[in-house]
Amino acid sequence: MSKEEAIPPGWSYNPASWGQRMPIVVAAMVGFAIATYLALFQLKVFDTVWEPFFGDGSRKILTSKTSQMLPIPDGALGAIGYLVDALAGVIGGIRRWRTMPWIVIAFGLAVGPLGFVSVLLVILQPVLYDSWCTLCLATALISVVMIGPAMDEMLASLQYMKRVKEAKVSLWKAFWGYKEVQGRVI
Amino acid sequence: MWAHVLNALLGIWLMASAAILGYSDAKTITDNEHIAGPIIASFAIISWWEATRVVRLYNVPVGLWLLLAPWVLGFDNTTATVNSMLVGALVTGLSFVKGKIKDVYGGGWSAVWKSDTLHAREARKQPRTNLK
Repeated sequence: MSKEEAIPPGWSYNPASWGQRMPIVVAAMVGFAIATYLALFQLKVFDTVWEPFFGDGSRKILTSKTSQMLPIPDGALGAIGYLVDALAGVIGGIRRWRTMPWIVIAFGLAVGPLGFVSVLLVILQPVLYDSWCTLCLATALISVVMIGPAMDEMLASLQYMKRVKEAKVSLWKAFWGYKEVQGRVI
Repeated sequence: MWAHVLNALLGIWLMASAAILGYSDAKTITDNEHIAGPIIASFAIISWWEATRVVRLYNVPVGLWLLLAPWVLGFDNTTATVNSMLVGALVTGLSFVKGKIKDVYGGGWSAVWKSDTLHAREARKQPRTNLK
């Protein structure tokens, strides 16, 4: 099987190629590293947190009421989110848009809410606490940058699911990538 | 894409402008900028990629809001009013710039629910072998 055959029909490139996916995985890993560092500060493993621009900003934000609304600090939740994104970006081959649509669609859906929550937290920093947290802003930027490049692959999978439906093949089996439906729809 | 790079920078500018232009004490004005700024920057960044270029249009209502905000919220600071309206006009205008689309996406997002689209026609042309 050549690389050309992995290109979805009607597309000029393959959105599931490694060249397309690796940058997102790298971004997610950077996000994971920063969020883990912030979570360790929130869990009092570190006494101080790096803040080059906004004085006491990071400390204020990371120890705020909003950051402790849930049983685990929001930094730890973010770290889990980035790890899920990185894993969902790595799993599967270059034809995964049709061999395992579930992971591609899960990947697209994981990237969306992470970006949304990050932006919401960026808004809450100055509005509720009158301060900014440099590393929190950096992670928010990373999660927003990941949305666009993850969506093209999801589009290819959704178009595949549409062809599966029109061919009257089981959507359930195609979604989970059952061997028996592989190749019945291109 | 250049238009959406500018819009991302305008969104970031809104986040910083109260501190730079010196009206940080006006809570209503700064809150408005601190809410609209990240939203504009996010939509602009998402529309950097061709497959999600349509998201640029989500910034049109936000841009129009910035034009109205000084009057609806009653801004009492001329600098802030001028800043909000200027940024609002620029964001609205730049959001309409579609730019070049060089790749093909099987008919795009509407092809997920419409019939007889590019990806469906192209798939029909290909031999249906057992692709494992």
